[in-house]
Amino acid sequence: MHEFSIATSLVDTLLEFAEKNQTKGKLMEVHLRIGALRAISIEQLKFSYQVLAKNQFLNGSRLIVKESPAMMHCPKCGFRKEFEVADDSYHFTLPTLSCPECGTSVDLEGGDEVVITKLRFQPASKR
Amino acid sequence: MARQEDIVTSSENEVFDVELETDILKANKELALANHAKLKENGITAIDVMGSVGSGKTSLIKAVVSLLKGTRRIAVIEGDVTTTIDADIIGSEGVPTVQVNTGKECHLDANLIRKALARLELSNLDLIFIENVGNLICPAEFPLGSDKRLVVISVTEGPYMVVKHPMMFHEANSVAINKIDLADAMGVNPSNLKRDISQLNPKATVVATDCRRMIGIREVISSLGVG
Repeated sequence: MHEFSIATSLVDTLLEFAEKNQTKGKLMEVHLRIGALRAISIEQLKFSYQVLAKNQFLNGSRLIVKESPAMMHCPKCGFRKEFEVADDSYHFTLPTLSCPECGTSVDLEGGDEVVITKLRFQPASKR
Repeated sequence: MARQEDIVTSSENEVFDVELETDILKANKELALANHAKLKENGITAIDVMGSVGSGKTSLIKAVVSLLKGTRRIAVIEGDVTTTIDADIIGSEGVPTVQVNTGKECHLDANLIRKALARLELSNLDLIFIENVGNLICPAEFPLGSDKRLVVISVTEGPYMVVKHPMMFHEANSVAINKIDLADAMGVNPSNLKRDISQLNPKATVVATDCRRMIGIREVISSLGVG
């Protein structure tokens, strides 16, 4: 359940942002980009975030996650392709880490990030 | 001329976005780099030992320490959810140990290692083994600042341990297939496990071990380059 640790880091980062920036308005959405190779369950991350986001600045905001791809690269024949999880119907990835062209084990690039890309605010009521 | 009401303007009540590019795990990465720098300053090699619960991580570290303690100055950081059982087992070898209890977390992180390193006399050490919490998923997400990763699996975990956790093996420098003496009883063929590991990560060295009979221990040491 490392999603809880990641949600804790996310909340810390957002509170730090709120402290540094006097953003007017209510935080509605937190957009994240998470690499495809990260073993992060989005559902558990969202649940952990809801549990942790009780602070006034974060309360009521929701997480929107976009997955970013990892690229597979064959060191032998130079084949490049977006890495695909072979079978999504199971909760684990199957070892397809070999080059479809020549069978060599591929290197993976990217797909390991966890980044906040955007915060969406609703302006504070003028009343 | 367009009338005022025809012009599309942004309303004051419209939502607004703040674009960012903030790495959430930066804090852990930075602490891991700081740990690494601190270890290098003191000329220490650190090995992160990972594997599932009961695979034999502690037994393997104990076996390695028993062979190396005469020639290398070693300390062991033991990560567990609770208890000091593992630190006590390693402590019986007479090397300094630090027990790190994560309480509720399923992995060590760079901050816990920073605190553990502060408990050790780094200038008196050459080699540190860091035993992560038994888990084949979460620890891979949190770099600690070590030089190499040793993953320990055992035949008692069945034939599919490797294919179920590809990322853990993709990042490993060495893999020990432990409890090799029980392979027949378990009906698990170690060469199939070895084949799965090599397919995921041809660069990893794979060693079959039996810690109770000290089989494969020297090979683990040389695969890590710490002999």
